[in-house]
Amino acid sequence: MHLVLVGLSHHTAPLEVRERIGISRSMVPAALDRLATDGCDDAVLLSTCNRTEVYAVAADPALMGERIIGCLADYRGVSREDIDAALYVRTDADAARHLFRVSAGLDSLVVGEPEILGQVKDAYKVASESRGTGSVINRLFHGAFAIGKRVRTDTGLAEGAVSLSYAAVTLARKIFGDLARRKVVVFGAGEMARLSALHFHQHVAGTTVATRRQDRGEVLAAEIHGQVAPWDARFDALVDADILVSATGSPELVLTDTDMRRVLAARRGRPMFVVDLAVPRDVAPEIGALEEVFLYNIDDLRGIVQENLARRQDAVSKAERLVNDEVSAWYAWLRSRAAIPTVVALRTRFERVRQAELDRLAPRLAALGPEARDRVDEITRLMVEKLLLTPTEQLKAIDDHDTMDACSAALRRLFALDEDAAAAEADRADAARRGTRR
Amino acid sequence: MSLAVLYAATFGAYVWHFSSQKALAGRIATGLLLVSVLVHTFVLGMYTMDLGVPPMAGRTGAVSTFVWMLAIAYLSVELSTDERGIGIFVTPLLVALQGLVAHGAMPTDVPEYFRAPFVAVHVGALLFAYASFALACVIGITYVLLFRELKRRTPGVFFQRLPSLQVLDRMNMRAVGIGWLLLTIGLVGGAVWLRDVSIHMADDPRLPHMTITDPKILMAVITWVVYGILLGTRRWAGLTPRRAAWLSALGFAIVLLNFLPVAYFFARSHNFA
Repeated sequence: MHLVLVGLSHHTAPLEVRERIGISRSMVPAALDRLATDGCDDAVLLSTCNRTEVYAVAADPALMGERIIGCLADYRGVSREDIDAALYVRTDADAARHLFRVSAGLDSLVVGEPEILGQVKDAYKVASESRGTGSVINRLFHGAFAIGKRVRTDTGLAEGAVSLSYAAVTLARKIFGDLARRKVVVFGAGEMARLSALHFHQHVAGTTVATRRQDRGEVLAAEIHGQVAPWDARFDALVDADILVSATGSPELVLTDTDMRRVLAARRGRPMFVVDLAVPRDVAPEIGALEEVFLYNIDDLRGIVQENLARRQDAVSKAERLVNDEVSAWYAWLRSRAAIPTVVALRTRFERVRQAELDRLAPRLAALGPEARDRVDEITRLMVEKLLLTPTEQLKAIDDHDTMDACSAALRRLFALDEDAAAAEADRADAARRGTRR
Repeated sequence: MSLAVLYAATFGAYVWHFSSQKALAGRIATGLLLVSVLVHTFVLGMYTMDLGVPPMAGRTGAVSTFVWMLAIAYLSVELSTDERGIGIFVTPLLVALQGLVAHGAMPTDVPEYFRAPFVAVHVGALLFAYASFALACVIGITYVLLFRELKRRTPGVFFQRLPSLQVLDRMNMRAVGIGWLLLTIGLVGGAVWLRDVSIHMADDPRLPHMTITDPKILMAVITWVVYGILLGTRRWAGLTPRRAAWLSALGFAIVLLNFLPVAYFFARSHNFA
């Protein structure tokens, strides 16, 4: 059996193509059913905003790859020409390496981002619950979960904020700890202010928007379930707040040193985190010298983000090594599976010979006591085990399919394993017929 | 000596945790500290059974008890907050102080008046108060280090590894509050004990010096005032967390002054060793 991966991602396809081929979570079970009707009944479909990928198990990987592409195109109503250039098809170790890199966050748009591991887990869960998954897929995905976790804990690949908003939230957490009881004031209602407000809104107790244009402030406040403060009363809003995000388009300062001192006097020494995302700046830089104020402007946040990204890049090579180790382990396991039918047939053959000899010698062994007969049975069984141990290990360790096929064929011919299998099949058929007559 | 080695191993584990940030290293560090505290408890317990009172008289006994209390205070903070970032700053203190008295002799006998119940309250409460202040001092220093990184907009090692300023401030104020309460109990306990034993100690040359003018007692009262001001201004006068952190470090400097040079060279009232 082989592992096949067919997919496209942000590396190969623009947003328009990803949108057209993407499959929402609720549609995944139906898509898996559709794949199954096309002969792909052991598969996992991973579809996120950055990638759509199908991992499947097949005897003929090239044929299965074609089937999956055709099925995806039909299912989403797109032509093969539209997606062919963006698609990639990988098999066996390459496919496993790809999945392990994906779950480790190495293939993500932002390297090390944490969401993808959860999405991989979810894709596997949906597949195993809707149609069930076989041992190859099970082992592959459990390996992916393990490497995803290990890379994050052992390499520091996911450490540090890598977006301006996330960096601001991380800094706020370092100052205030838990933000659940903190209040945020946002100056402005433009895109930058909106993004920051949305990000903070998930973590804090309340958000107040103060902007010159009341209508835009109300729209943003409604989006984040916050409040609106009149622009002239913005300093009053600061007295109760802990965090200020300022992102107005004002050409002049909207918060001066004098204003801030007045606010601080009413706050009785409570610290305040001020994020100035505006260019030109909204907040007087002298405010940063006040003891209770932690002032960060857009360049400070950008510097933190770039430093974290650089740190993540340092962790990439270590993460790649871990992924390679996991791929080797998984692929060795997959190869060993190819030897299983031959090994089973060989063992069956030896066992039949052993049993036949014991049956032939049964009259002579009858003179022995029950304990001695058991001992003879045990000794012959152990001899067979020992004789088969080395060939079994050697066969499982073969690392290419051609050699594996050649060795399996040689063993089958030398020990007449196919005849043995045919005889066993005939025995089973006879037994079944006898059962039916009765 | 073995206790100092145990604390040194604990310090090593905290260094490992601080540099690697591995959860396993953190668990090993906490486990080693717990083992050290248990062994230390056993050792002090044996001396207590032997003497009939806790072995707090004399330099070796007092310092070792102080180390034990500091380790317990830190361990309780760590277990209640699940924050191990300041372990690397606390454990060197344990190693240094326990190492200082590693070759010293523990008390083999104590004067009869040392067996009065208020002595245990007086000495025990004061030692625990000083251990709390030591912990507050370390937490205060870590607060200032993190504060500097955040103010300079250069998040680095301390940003990655220490708890938030808010958590450090809360830990600091809790340690100062507990320390001040115990210091109060210790001072009151000492005064009550002095009243009770003054008849038995009438001929003792130390008795006339047991007044506020004795440097050791004076420094203890000054410590009480400094920490009292810290708590009061923080509560009612808007003292900023950073100044509170500095003040808790300064307060402990006074404690150290009282614990070491003053006790050895100037105090005439508390020489029991």
